[in-house]
Amino acid sequence: MSADTFQSINWSILTPEFIILGVIAILILLDLFMPKTLSRKILGWIGIAAILAALIFTLNMAGGPVRTILDNTFRVDSFAIAFKSLLLVGAALVMFLATSYETKAGLERYEAEFYYIFLSALLGAMVMTSSGDLITLYVGLELLSIPSYILAGMRKFDSKSNEAAMKYVISGGISSAIALFGMSYVYGIAGSTDLIEIASKLSMLADGQQAYLLGLAFLMIFVGLAFKISAAPFHMWAPDVYQGAPTPVTAFLSVVSKTAGFVIVIRVLLTVFGAAASNGPNSMPIIMNMQDYIAVIAGATMIIGNVVALKQSDIKRMFAYSSIAHAGYLLVAVTSLSANMFYSIWFYLLAYLLMNLGAFAVIQVVSEKSGSTKIADFAGLYRRSPVLAVAMGILLISLAGFPGTAGFIGKLNIFAGAFAGDPHYVLASVMIATTVVSYFYYFGVMTQMFFRPAEDESKFNLPFGIIIVLIVAVAGSILFGLMPNLALDFMNNHLDILNDFFGQ
Amino acid sequence: MMENAWLIPLFPLVSFVILLLFGKRLKEAGAYVGILMTLASLVFSILVLFERFSEPSYIQKFEWLKIGDVSLTAGFEVNQLNALMLFIVSLVSFLVHTYSKGYMHGDGRFPVFYAYLGLFTFAMLGLVISPNLLQTYMFWELVGLGSFLLIGFYFYKEEAKAAAKKAFIMTRIGDVGLFIGMILLFWKTGSFEYSEIFSAVEAGGISQTMITLTAILIFIGAVGKSGQFPLHTWLPDAMEGPTPVSALIHAATMVAAGVYLVATMFPLFAASKTALLTVATIGAFTAIFAASIGLVQTDIKRVLAYSTVSQLGYMMLALGSAGYVAGVFHLMTHAFFKALLFLAAGSVIHAVHTQNIEEMGGLWKKLKWTAPLFLIGTLAISGVPLLSGFFSKDEILVAAWEGGHPILFVLALIAAFMTAFYMFRLFFMVFTGEARGNQNHVHESPGSMTLPMLVLGVLAIISGYVNTPWFGSFLGDWLVDGNEKLGHGHMEGPIWIMIAATVVSLAGIYLAWLIYGKRSVSRNWLSGSGDTLHTILYNKYYVDEFYQMTVVAVTKGISYFLRFIDVFLVGGIVKGVVGFVQGLGATGSKLQNGQVQTYAAVAFVGLAILTVIFALTGGYLQ
Repeated sequence: MSADTFQSINWSILTPEFIILGVIAILILLDLFMPKTLSRKILGWIGIAAILAALIFTLNMAGGPVRTILDNTFRVDSFAIAFKSLLLVGAALVMFLATSYETKAGLERYEAEFYYIFLSALLGAMVMTSSGDLITLYVGLELLSIPSYILAGMRKFDSKSNEAAMKYVISGGISSAIALFGMSYVYGIAGSTDLIEIASKLSMLADGQQAYLLGLAFLMIFVGLAFKISAAPFHMWAPDVYQGAPTPVTAFLSVVSKTAGFVIVIRVLLTVFGAAASNGPNSMPIIMNMQDYIAVIAGATMIIGNVVALKQSDIKRMFAYSSIAHAGYLLVAVTSLSANMFYSIWFYLLAYLLMNLGAFAVIQVVSEKSGSTKIADFAGLYRRSPVLAVAMGILLISLAGFPGTAGFIGKLNIFAGAFAGDPHYVLASVMIATTVVSYFYYFGVMTQMFFRPAEDESKFNLPFGIIIVLIVAVAGSILFGLMPNLALDFMNNHLDILNDFFGQ
Repeated sequence: MMENAWLIPLFPLVSFVILLLFGKRLKEAGAYVGILMTLASLVFSILVLFERFSEPSYIQKFEWLKIGDVSLTAGFEVNQLNALMLFIVSLVSFLVHTYSKGYMHGDGRFPVFYAYLGLFTFAMLGLVISPNLLQTYMFWELVGLGSFLLIGFYFYKEEAKAAAKKAFIMTRIGDVGLFIGMILLFWKTGSFEYSEIFSAVEAGGISQTMITLTAILIFIGAVGKSGQFPLHTWLPDAMEGPTPVSALIHAATMVAAGVYLVATMFPLFAASKTALLTVATIGAFTAIFAASIGLVQTDIKRVLAYSTVSQLGYMMLALGSAGYVAGVFHLMTHAFFKALLFLAAGSVIHAVHTQNIEEMGGLWKKLKWTAPLFLIGTLAISGVPLLSGFFSKDEILVAAWEGGHPILFVLALIAAFMTAFYMFRLFFMVFTGEARGNQNHVHESPGSMTLPMLVLGVLAIISGYVNTPWFGSFLGDWLVDGNEKLGHGHMEGPIWIMIAATVVSLAGIYLAWLIYGKRSVSRNWLSGSGDTLHTILYNKYYVDEFYQMTVVAVTKGISYFLRFIDVFLVGGIVKGVVGFVQGLGATGSKLQNGQVQTYAAVAFVGLAILTVIFALTGGYLQ
């Protein structure tokens, strides 16, 4: 590459990524040269500042045309901006949780490591949202995954944390292999790794045999990626890993990592298989034929997540199953393939981000105090700390999808989408039924908090980071529940995902 | 005034917020916050009601949310039914707030109780001014949440906790029906607005089957909230809550919400004969079913609870027989006399500290205010002439007869007999005869408790005169004014119906007097006619046991089964393989019984199954 070409490339669209990358480097150096006695908290705040700066630059790009660089491998379209903003907001909140994380198991020694490894994972997720090519997509995925494995094992001397990391590495490796294998079929048939090019080639696909192979590829990619979004049949790692990992990491896995998982699912499946012809040119795209498979996986995910959650006595395991269930709801939106799909998934992920991170903030405070993660530790929380209990109560009813909260609007969007076009009655009924089931376990926690006497009456000190997360989460859950148009207006006025997504 | 009706629900909300924030500091003075705020609601409601007498309905809405191309609105509406409901709800809520000041005196969580009352009142008032189904649904759920908190208020009692949970889950089952019905209607008509749904129904935009289906689904929601058979079992259990709560929730508000919903959606129901018949049949059956259970209960509040279920059945019967006015009319009179009965019962419990009527007796002289007021309520609910219940019950019987349901009419008549009997059984056992329990410290309740009862007592007597065959049917004419779909303001029925109703009610009272007052007939006459019958009635037809054996067992079974698959079955396949994870140490593995091989195996099996299906179906499931 000559210097001229290098300069002609519009690097500015990479600004958010460069900020994060730069700060990672700075944090590593600071950690190296700072006296060992100094607290590493400051590094966390620098990280938060970097994330917010990246967020501002990302939002600034909204409204422009689709911009691509490096042979279309990196693209900034409305889809990328919308989901990248979600990732950054989620990451900022997780960082707030992390700065408030104090545990006896001793994370302090690795506190700085936590911050920059976390930022590396975030960088991977950001690259995924903007990838226009299978290679960058995969590199982004691995850049997200490998730091995640390390994060899960952050408490080096805690055997549970170690076990979590090990299980996560193995499951993750297998899933990546499956997905990659599926992608190799796509490459083999289309002869390109550029998503847009693949789409245009496959739309002219005349050979029925090749369409059949693509069907197999679809299943493999989907099952492989199911790992990242913890959907069936690749959901079983989630409870163990969620339970063993430090709470901020659990929060990261259940929100940021899952959001990135949905990004790649939508990007790959929709671009490639939304265009690929199933039976000669101008026939129905393959994805329409595969709708039933997505529906089956969505249904299974909702049922497994919600029903097994009933039996849990550990709050983090319960939230693991609950997060599996939410992946199921989101897959309903993917199944429906309605025009409203992008928006409903985006809004649901936003609502989910707020309510889940808020809940993890409460879990972190309560479990630090009691030294365990049993649901029974929440007994009498209302007496011990009314603020925490009420906040958690609001977040729980939002998770359950109670009217007046963001969770309800999210479910309503998805539900209405399931009836648009070709109605999916069975899937919609499963969604309703499992939502009712979810009331049991969410209200189980409520009963503990409000209706049970406390075992010890000690009060809580809320660290600053936790307070910030709780305010944002609770206010957001209510605000977007009562005035959902705020989010919609942002979407309508600045972003046009539907047109951008398939465009050059 | 009507354009400010949106303020009415906000007052109790303000009270809720204030008490939540400053409750601990205010202590029992918090009661005044609640009372003042509900008084404000009441005053506004009365003004709105009077304005609505002379002016047309008012509706105000704004865009709230866009899904796809459809925009959803939020706002408020004041029509006849809404205005009437606003008045009823805010009045009863205000009286209950006042009453609770005496009743809950000394309770450690006094401000919390008032906060919950505020939240509940807000939800209920919000429900009745909602201009569309979606908004109604949202407040509907909030009402459920409020009742959950109130019923479970004495959370240290196991029964109360269980009852709160039961009420919430049971009504949720109904809510699912409502939700699906609502989405189907939205999908067919493209709107949640009542007016647009009704005009679509009228224009024939929806198939007859779909109308019936959606109407019945919505009715299922009402069945859950209004404690109709077979989802009635939560209502008597909910008596574990404080008594003022029973008066608020189980007389005038939450349980009436189901009836209100059917009344609001009446044009939809009216378009389907099947739906109407379902409503009428369930209503009539519930009326007689619950009344028969009420015959043998020994807990004063449970008798009232079953009578509520039975009276709600009456209202449903009326609506199902196309007697819109009759249903709403009875909803109003019932709200007054049943709230009165609950508050009076609370006053009795307050005095004797027991709810078992076997341990009461002879309280007439000791409770100078409560006793006569309780008698007024009893007379009204029994349908004794010249009191409010007489007129509204007569209207329902006429509706059932004119609607062409002779069998349901007879059932309702029998239920009326039973009602008169068990209510006077209650009255005689509590207030007459010898004192059967320890009554040394019995004293009349304070003024804050007797005054609200007095107001309700007056209303229980006079509120029937707004709609009588003799002095004109003012209420009925007003309710249906400008909307001929709702039927006639007053139904002319044969005079013998009124006479028959009077006769059965007096006969019931007479029989109760013979057995429990004069004691010339053995008390065991019912059990004498066969122990089985008494046992069945006492055990409430074993409906709870039936649920325990079926629904709960099946749900438990499924969850055990899936857990079994998730942990043991799949875990068993690879059992014996020395786990990598196991090597990490016994401690960690004991805590986490899952093995990572299993997880991978499941993923592979899942992928394999999907691939095989894909291969077998030739690739496409078309």
